[in-house]
Amino acid sequence: MPLVIFVDDSETALASTRMVTNAMPIEVKQYTEATVALAEIKAGMTPDLIITDLNMPVMNGLEFLKELRSHGATSRTPTLMLTTETKTELKVQGKALGLTGWIVKPFNPAQLKQAITRVLRLPA
Amino acid sequence: MLILKSVDALLEHIKDVQTNIKELSSDSLMKMSTYMEKNGLEIDDDIASSFQYQDIITQQLDASIEAINSMRSSIEVFSHAFKSDEDLANGSLQKLQDKLNLALQEAKEKKERFSGKFSQAEDANDEIEFF
Repeated sequence: MPLVIFVDDSETALASTRMVTNAMPIEVKQYTEATVALAEIKAGMTPDLIITDLNMPVMNGLEFLKELRSHGATSRTPTLMLTTETKTELKVQGKALGLTGWIVKPFNPAQLKQAITRVLRLPA
Repeated sequence: MLILKSVDALLEHIKDVQTNIKELSSDSLMKMSTYMEKNGLEIDDDIASSFQYQDIITQQLDASIEAINSMRSSIEVFSHAFKSDEDLANGSLQKLQDKLNLALQEAKEKKERFSGKFSQAEDANDEIEFF
């Protein structure tokens, strides 16, 4: 099963994504800190899709994305930003770093499932 | 100076209340999610939204806590200046006012930024944006 990782400093946001995706044919791993996810990626974890929050302490979503892009194994891994932020300037920065897409919270469960299905090319 | 001490105490109190609200709202939703996952209950659109409101509430409160910290720090700097030199204090009063206004302005801007879909017009495109 494809591995999808979620990174969000909010436990409740992670709980909602976990409940939305629990019936999908994917393996899900969740992290409250981007640095921890990054350490596991550098240790050999190869996610098929990364979904990350933007505003997080220690390392924010764009810094995380930059690190992912500079790491060989995840330089092209599809990555979605799931955030309360709507600022165009930040979207432009994300796009320049090779971000796949931008989802504004609160997300609709069906839309999140569709986005994952679309990016991973899962059977609809 | 007494008035500033009162303002500082009030800001500290507001910050404590906001921190408690954040913790309580998170705890209540985490208890609900544990119950739902334990009982295999399916999440619908409304419940998914309510879980995400907590995230938005937390970010909004964090932004205002940040503003409170900034204001308290500016008040502290001003209080020290006032104690040491009255002329310096007059200049510092203007600086204090500027800093307080800036902190408030930044907090308001973050309120808009961290509102997610609530800051968008009702007819705004609800689709996920792919690049």
